[in-house]
Amino acid sequence: MNAEIKFDFAECFEKLSGVAHAVPSEKAAVDEIISIITSKEAKCVALANLPKKLVTAIEKRCDGIKVLKEPYAAETLPAAIDEADVGITGIAFAIAQSGTLVETTTNDAVRLVSALTPTYIGVLRKADIVNRFEDGSARIREIVKEHDENLVISFISGPSRTGDIELKLTLGVHGPGEAHAVIIGK
Amino acid sequence: MTTQRYERLYEKIDASLKDRSASDALLRCMKRGRDTRAAALETLPGGTAFRNDVRKAKERCIEDLPRLKKQFIENVEKRGAKVFEAKTPADVIKYCIDLAKERGATHLAKSKSLTTEEIELNRPLMDAGIDVVETDLGELIIQLVNEKPFHLVFPSVHKMAPEVAKIFEKATGKPVEGNIPSIMKVVRKYLRPIFLNAEIGMTGANIGIAETGAICIETNEGNARNVSSIGKCHICVMGMEKIVETIEDAMLMILAHPVSASGQLPTTYVTWMHGRNPLGEGDGKNARESHIIILDNGRTEMRDDPDYRESLYCIRCGACMNVCPTSGIVGGHTFGHIYPGPMGICWTAAVHGLETAGNFAPLCISCGLCKEICPAIIDMPHMIAEIKHRDAKKHGYPLPNKVMMGADKAARLGSVTAAVANFSLNTRAIRKLMDKTIGLSADRNVPPFTYPTFMQRFKDHRLKVVAPQRKVAFFVDVYANYNDPDLGMAAVRQLEALDCEVVLPPQDASGYPFIAYGDLDRARKTAAGNVAKLFPYANQGYDIVSIEPTATYSLAESYPHLLKNNNASRRVADHTHELFEYLNKLEEDTGNAPMSRSLKGRKFGFHIPCHQRALGSGHGAIEWLRRRGAEVEVIETGTCCGMGGTFGLKAGLLGHKLSMAVGDALFDLFKAAEIDAIVTESSVCKIQLAEGTGLEVFHPLQLL
Repeated sequence: MNAEIKFDFAECFEKLSGVAHAVPSEKAAVDEIISIITSKEAKCVALANLPKKLVTAIEKRCDGIKVLKEPYAAETLPAAIDEADVGITGIAFAIAQSGTLVETTTNDAVRLVSALTPTYIGVLRKADIVNRFEDGSARIREIVKEHDENLVISFISGPSRTGDIELKLTLGVHGPGEAHAVIIGK
Repeated sequence: MTTQRYERLYEKIDASLKDRSASDALLRCMKRGRDTRAAALETLPGGTAFRNDVRKAKERCIEDLPRLKKQFIENVEKRGAKVFEAKTPADVIKYCIDLAKERGATHLAKSKSLTTEEIELNRPLMDAGIDVVETDLGELIIQLVNEKPFHLVFPSVHKMAPEVAKIFEKATGKPVEGNIPSIMKVVRKYLRPIFLNAEIGMTGANIGIAETGAICIETNEGNARNVSSIGKCHICVMGMEKIVETIEDAMLMILAHPVSASGQLPTTYVTWMHGRNPLGEGDGKNARESHIIILDNGRTEMRDDPDYRESLYCIRCGACMNVCPTSGIVGGHTFGHIYPGPMGICWTAAVHGLETAGNFAPLCISCGLCKEICPAIIDMPHMIAEIKHRDAKKHGYPLPNKVMMGADKAARLGSVTAAVANFSLNTRAIRKLMDKTIGLSADRNVPPFTYPTFMQRFKDHRLKVVAPQRKVAFFVDVYANYNDPDLGMAAVRQLEALDCEVVLPPQDASGYPFIAYGDLDRARKTAAGNVAKLFPYANQGYDIVSIEPTATYSLAESYPHLLKNNNASRRVADHTHELFEYLNKLEEDTGNAPMSRSLKGRKFGFHIPCHQRALGSGHGAIEWLRRRGAEVEVIETGTCCGMGGTFGLKAGLLGHKLSMAVGDALFDLFKAAEIDAIVTESSVCKIQLAEGTGLEVFHPLQLL
């Protein structure tokens, strides 16, 4: 393997029909997220796995838009999240070579936010992008070590896709038809 | 008796050849699979090197499976999930039905799982009152019409959009427009309540990790994410061979699987489940469970059987289906039972019985391409030969196969009686009779026999090399010996012109048809015989140079396998060379460049015989022609020309007809190319291409 190749996450994510947004700060990330929410004319937004500060900032800007956030009451699920037009989750790390967002969680509500909504936004820090696919192994081992019991790690490489009819690539059959990555960091 | 046995197979092949719409769709699918794989490998650092890594990892993990399974189970249980080790399909069925009853569950949403298809789990669950819905789109389509997968990765590839729309009209009771975007909207709406209301979510697992107790589930649509997160109860049914040792092993498989299947790295979604997460907070948070059913169903026996063990290395990518020539024409419903394609023969034999595998194993023409594309380098050609062999012990060999396995002896007789034999081969009435009686296709232009043979002529050939630099033991095989001794002599002269002392060791024909039709007793005998005859030469510093690609493949690849990699077979293999690769090397070493660019201004389309793909993919001959000024373009579909050695010489559906159907796409490419002629080193591909294209076909040596 040639260790010298430097992969570009945004480029690889966009090859998979994802949309990458590189932003310099959390504030700029909120702007970008709001702009996506607005462009989708979303009436309901679901948030999970995000730092409190970011949740508050997004909520503040969602005027007239219903915002769902943690904690999600078990008895309202999965129906509550199914209502959301946009789902936003925090991402543990990403893999540049394959354009993969890696979401980790100990609560499946987080998974529903990134799986059920028509539009999905993953938020990550630029420093959390590893270069090669196999570089992911060490990160996964660290994460797994921190959890003795339940844990789900999800690789998300672009929007939900199928080629099952006539091999024609179609997006969003079950999961999000749009996948955005908002990458914070200079 | 054997003919009767294959009647159903003949009917199915006939139907595929008459209505090509399904196979046209399948061929597009396969081609796209190959093209996207090739494109992905261009960007993957190391290219195909990952295949060796996968192979090593699978060898290690299957060898250590009992320990890894124990470790996996301990770790799964530590994380709060339950494990059930199922010996048989009935065990799985009972466990699932009992569990559903205990939980009062009647709705089960499923994501794609070949293992549950292997044990035909859906029907008994539905009979027990559980509503089972497949949520992978392709699987759902075939579930709604009660079919089996047509292709491993694209199970419904034979259904066009208007037909799919009709299927969903029936399912939803509402009109559905026959275009894909409209169908997708309907599917999303149709499946959403099924996801949301399922009490049980059932998945397979692509990987189980012993180190962490995780299962990994790969999907592109994301249905496995919904299925594994929503229902209170999650059931995973996995084959025990899916267990790997480490996270690194898992990452390797997560890459190798989609790269090989569809040129992706990795699939859109990969879910690593460690135990079961709660869903939300508050009441009901903890009422969630995960059951991991580890299925044996013959896998332990497969592991213990050296001829079947490699099947357990299969990662279910379907790449072998994307390259298998006959599978591409007849599809997975004919070339398969539940598991389709080349690997399907091996898995069917192991889990659904030898008899069932034997019913469609004759569709394998032993081209060997499946091994060349397999991410775990599984030796499917030899495994399938073993299955044919075991099957024949019970059923015997069909007469046409016996005839083809005796082609060497027939050629010997044909040569001695050349005048009579050639008259017979050129007489329509006699050929028709042979077609009906022994199964040699009357429609094939079989090359005439010649007397004396190459071997006889070589005896009179006097060495002209004064100070030989190298010693060559020449391997001639059937065609150049009995049909075209001039070709053999031309090869000898080329070698001698480059200061080689050429000898002709005692030898038999390569015997590849014994492998192709599964007479492994005679294949081994031939291999042992030839190795014993060639080994002393290899030991005395002779290079073995072979003129026929399949013979070279036999010496270099098949014999070591048949002889369990014994020292002599390895030594012979290591000393074996393709003629042109060897000539080029000699030209370089001796500084003896070709005297003239006699082929300047001529353009040839080059055909790579399948067995040559395991060797140098024809690079030797191409380079040799280019050095002589020729313009050479490789023309290929990526699969076989259809001849499959002697397969295409046989009459009828399981021979000439299917063979020509396989070749069609390649014939079209050659016909459309602006070339003077076709060049190939294979004597049998030559017959096929001449018939299929109407163009002239030459061996490179014939061009001088």
